[in-house]
Amino acid sequence: MLNAVFVANAAEESVNPIFPASYDIIWSAVCFAIILVFFWKAVLPKVQTMLDERSAAIEGNIAKADEAQAQAEAALQEYTAQLAGARQEAGEIREAARADGVKIVAEAKDAAVAEAARVTASAKTQIEAERQSAVVTLRKEVGSLAIDLASGVVGESLSDDKKAGALVDRFLADLEASEKASK
Amino acid sequence: MSVLAEVSGNIATVGYGLAAIGPAIGVGIVVGKTIEGVARQPELQGKLQVLMWIGIAFTEALAFIGIATYFIFTK
Amino acid sequence: MHIPFVSANDGEFHGPTINEFFPPVIFFEGTPFEINRIILIRFLAVAVIILLFWLATRKMSVVPGRGQSLAEMALDLVRGGIAEDLLGKVDGRRFLPILTAMFFIILGFNITGIIPGLNIAASSTIGFPLVLAVVSYVTFIYSGIKKSPKNFFKNSLFPAGVPWPVYIIVTPIELISTFVIRPVTLTLRLLMNMIVGHLLLVLFFSATQFFFFTADGFFKLFGVGSLAFGFAFTLFEILVAVLQAYVFTLLTAVYIQLALAEEH
Repeated sequence: MLNAVFVANAAEESVNPIFPASYDIIWSAVCFAIILVFFWKAVLPKVQTMLDERSAAIEGNIAKADEAQAQAEAALQEYTAQLAGARQEAGEIREAARADGVKIVAEAKDAAVAEAARVTASAKTQIEAERQSAVVTLRKEVGSLAIDLASGVVGESLSDDKKAGALVDRFLADLEASEKASK
Repeated sequence: MSVLAEVSGNIATVGYGLAAIGPAIGVGIVVGKTIEGVARQPELQGKLQVLMWIGIAFTEALAFIGIATYFIFTK
Repeated sequence: MHIPFVSANDGEFHGPTINEFFPPVIFFEGTPFEINRIILIRFLAVAVIILLFWLATRKMSVVPGRGQSLAEMALDLVRGGIAEDLLGKVDGRRFLPILTAMFFIILGFNITGIIPGLNIAASSTIGFPLVLAVVSYVTFIYSGIKKSPKNFFKNSLFPAGVPWPVYIIVTPIELISTFVIRPVTLTLRLLMNMIVGHLLLVLFFSATQFFFFTADGFFKLFGVGSLAFGFAFTLFEILVAVLQAYVFTLLTAVYIQLALAEEH
């Protein structure tokens, strides 16, 4: 069988596949040049632009998500800050109210004290005035009463006005003196 | 001297058979070692595979030079 | 499959020969621009690649449709898996066009080997692997020299961490391995993978044909086996087509990476 192969081989024009023919090289080079230019100028730039776009799109989406998150965080922070502010304000208001209350109470107390003092003072004055008038009235009435009593006791002897008046004055002076002594 | 045995045809076929022994063993070693390497460190599989192909390519070239010698020396 | 090589008439089996890869010229015979069947398959593959990617990327949108996601996945294999992984973001983007074009043209040309009706990899004659290897070679040398000529040659010829007398041995080896072996192996790896793959497929399917229609009685059963193998190897060829495109692009990226490296 091997023999047959080589018989056939010898019968035909023997060619060697190691030595290239010029047409072989020329057409190979042409084919490769066409493919190279095709990929270089047409396919790869397109693919590259598309890949760039894709990565840009992915990066864009990531950036968008980041931005949204940042916004949410900012909103949360703002909200928290507002809440804290409100709390502080409330505290301040409460504090102020407490202070106000204390002040009002103190004022009211002062006013009450002053009122009480005034009332006390006016009551004292009235009492003094009433005492004075009572003293005057009493002096008058006690005088006449005492005279009536004395005249009743002594009788006619004291009907003389001049004598009676002197008696009363002496009596009252004694009374006052005793009053002063008792004070 | 009488001829005891005669080979007809071309003994280049035998020559190629001999030439193929070395590369065959070489390729076997390369692949076997790669498998061993991957078994030890599976995470390096990609890198080892690339190296394996390069190693095979270099080793296997000898076998193809073996085929080519027939054509080179017959012209 | 080329029927002339499987002549069922003479009752003998004819295996595939290397002439599979040198079909008769169709256009421009005798000029350097000869066009044969393989070259036509190349034109077709180029047209299909351009059409597919044009359709998939015609209306690019941020939210991809079905076609666009497929194209993006394919492009990302080169962008993420090769260019940016090995070269980093900046250099990866610089060399991305050349790597992407390399990957898809090799893949497209390889895959024609298993497409019914085409049945031969457009990359199975040496011109194509050679052109790509030269492109890779020029690219990595250019990138190294542009970055820093001194660093590039020092790194590739005088590897660091070796006592100086060793350079007498190491430097010639490095010189050959960097500037001769690299492009040669790039070329031969792709070429031989495709040639051998095609020859195997032809062998299996022509054997199937032979067993079914020429062989007698009991031997017809072998046809089933060879057909099964042919099917299995067709699947294997798909894997090889993708793998070779990947390896070629990966190695180009590795060579660029080594050329750009500050220190070994």
